[in-house]
Amino acid sequence: MSDDYKFDTLSLHAGHVPDPQFGSRAVPIHQTTSYVFRDTEHAAALYNMELGGHLYTRISNPTVAVLEQRVAALEGGVAATATASGMAALTTAVMTICSSGDHIVASSRMYGANINLLENTLPRFGITTTFVAPDDPDAIAAAIQPNTKIIFGEVIGNPGLDIMDVAAVGEVASKAHVPLMLDCTFNTPWLLKPIELGANIIIHSLTKWMGGHGIAIGGAVVDGGNFDWGRDDRFPTIAGPHYAMNEINFHEEFGPAAFTAKFRAEGMYNFGPSMSPTNAFHILQGLETLPLRMQRHMDNTAAMLEFLTSHDAVAWVKHPTLPDHPSHQLVQRMLPRGAGSIIVFGLKGGRAAGKAFIEAVELASHLANVGDAKTLVIHPASTTHSHISAEAMVEGGLSDDMIRLSVGLEDINDITTDFELGFRAAARVAAKAAE
Amino acid sequence: MKHELHGEMIHIATGGLDFDNNKPVLLFLHGSGQSHLTWVLQSRYFAHRGFAVLAPDLPGHGLSDGTPLASIEEMADWSVALLDSLQVASATYVAHSQGVLVALDAAARHPQHVSALALIAGAMAIPVNDMLIEMSQHQPDKAFEMMTSWGHGPGAHKFDNTQPGHSFLGYGRRVMAQNDGAALHADLVACNRYVSGPTAAAAITQPSLCLIAGRDRMTPAKFGHKMAATIPGATSCTFDRAGHFLPAEFPLEVNESLVAFLAR
Repeated sequence: MSDDYKFDTLSLHAGHVPDPQFGSRAVPIHQTTSYVFRDTEHAAALYNMELGGHLYTRISNPTVAVLEQRVAALEGGVAATATASGMAALTTAVMTICSSGDHIVASSRMYGANINLLENTLPRFGITTTFVAPDDPDAIAAAIQPNTKIIFGEVIGNPGLDIMDVAAVGEVASKAHVPLMLDCTFNTPWLLKPIELGANIIIHSLTKWMGGHGIAIGGAVVDGGNFDWGRDDRFPTIAGPHYAMNEINFHEEFGPAAFTAKFRAEGMYNFGPSMSPTNAFHILQGLETLPLRMQRHMDNTAAMLEFLTSHDAVAWVKHPTLPDHPSHQLVQRMLPRGAGSIIVFGLKGGRAAGKAFIEAVELASHLANVGDAKTLVIHPASTTHSHISAEAMVEGGLSDDMIRLSVGLEDINDITTDFELGFRAAARVAAKAAE
Repeated sequence: MKHELHGEMIHIATGGLDFDNNKPVLLFLHGSGQSHLTWVLQSRYFAHRGFAVLAPDLPGHGLSDGTPLASIEEMADWSVALLDSLQVASATYVAHSQGVLVALDAAARHPQHVSALALIAGAMAIPVNDMLIEMSQHQPDKAFEMMTSWGHGPGAHKFDNTQPGHSFLGYGRRVMAQNDGAALHADLVACNRYVSGPTAAAAITQPSLCLIAGRDRMTPAKFGHKMAATIPGATSCTFDRAGHFLPAEFPLEVNESLVAFLAR
């Protein structure tokens, strides 16, 4: 039917054609703040969005653009914009759509910073959020208000691993004519391309699996181009006269890329959450091997699940592919390649045993990141989610003894050997506590 | 801007400035299943260089109401009626693909309304195979995907783009999906039935420029060259690496060619 390049090829090539002057096969790092205009007319044309091109790296940059175009290609969007971090991506995306007085419906079981932004920061600017369970489309529908401008969630929740039924929530969003914005950091487009299921805007922390090397912070916002901003008068800053460029109407001028046009013209211009060209280069190196890494992540995750679920030291294990996960059937349908490489588990002996485990392992790294090529462990209650209220912790399905494991690409036998070391330390603590 | 024509509200992109019929008018005509968004990188550019830009959505396309027109001749008459309704005596027709057929027909039958022709990725006839026509009616999403894929050159397939972060393929499919469900089918049938192109082209007396895409799989370059050879006095320029969506793939080059042509 189509001669479009496939996912693995796009991971390597999308967004980059060797430049005619030097023919660099690798993507060059354009470490520059600015670009020499051909003449005053050319400068005016760029400022006025008459032509594409680069005028200042806060707005766009050739190296960053390759990354953006690659992410857009992998997600099947009309455009993508890279940002300094995943949180910059989310914040700027919200600011692109919402104004004071607007409302968001969001998952109650998300990454702590996502919740903090919505629960504590945005209300200071007049944007409020109702939190609901991500696996309950009816509750999401019921929470929608006349001023709701975004439905937001994570496909695979961090760290509780709750799964959102993207097609079902997409239907709710479509009926209410509210854009569905999803944080897809944990799934990556290799596991799921939610735009195909009705999502409208995709948020990424590229720091995680997309980059994969743990060497560069970055984020991206992908525009699905599948939301009609002009259907009614609810999105006046996108589909109405905007203060910039002689009252430009982004919806009329740029059609399916209206959101991206405003994101870049206002979000990047006024807020300035730009990614550095060098970080874009580093993340591009990771993206080249995304399909290979993700397959290995899934293989090692499956092996770790088998190891953990059969181990005497482990009290409980949670992963969406396990039969006792409430979304197990949905996952089989929606995420046939796997449900990510995060596993959460608790040890017999509770929080103290968990602490002993984390301090005893020698191969797995105790740190805040996920999605690295290396295996990582952390105790969310005392770290990533320590700023979340006790009520929100319970609502988020987080327990005090939870350990979050980000399964890496090492030889699986080395990971399990390392974990045995940790389990022995945990067992000693548990035995001492029992005395 | 919104404008009422034949009782239907149509959308016309004017490049971000109010339409002023005292300026030289450029009428941009889009192709099958497309809209004013074909001209994103031309409409603002020329509006800010002293021209009055009209990039309408044909009825049933883009942001225009109404029913898609059934023939190239109807589209040509519609374009002239649009100019009349805006008190425009004549315009330079800048046309892409199906729009080239419309421009040829308008130039032949309404020569007083057409002051010059810039014909982009076009031909004197655009036969459409039965499979695509049927697909456009029964599986429009597949037709959008196929045409968007065929319609773009090698750079676009590698997601090279002058607009940072943008995807030609993703954008192209969404532009087509924005139309009335019957629009693409009506357009393809109209193209397939139109046979007056060679006669119309041979009769043209207006200054004409043909911009030809070297990697065009929708209206292959050889047909563009044939058209240029048929139109008396026409000049042409070929963009070797461009696909059918030449105005988007090579916007600066297209615009500079048009600027030179308009300054003749």
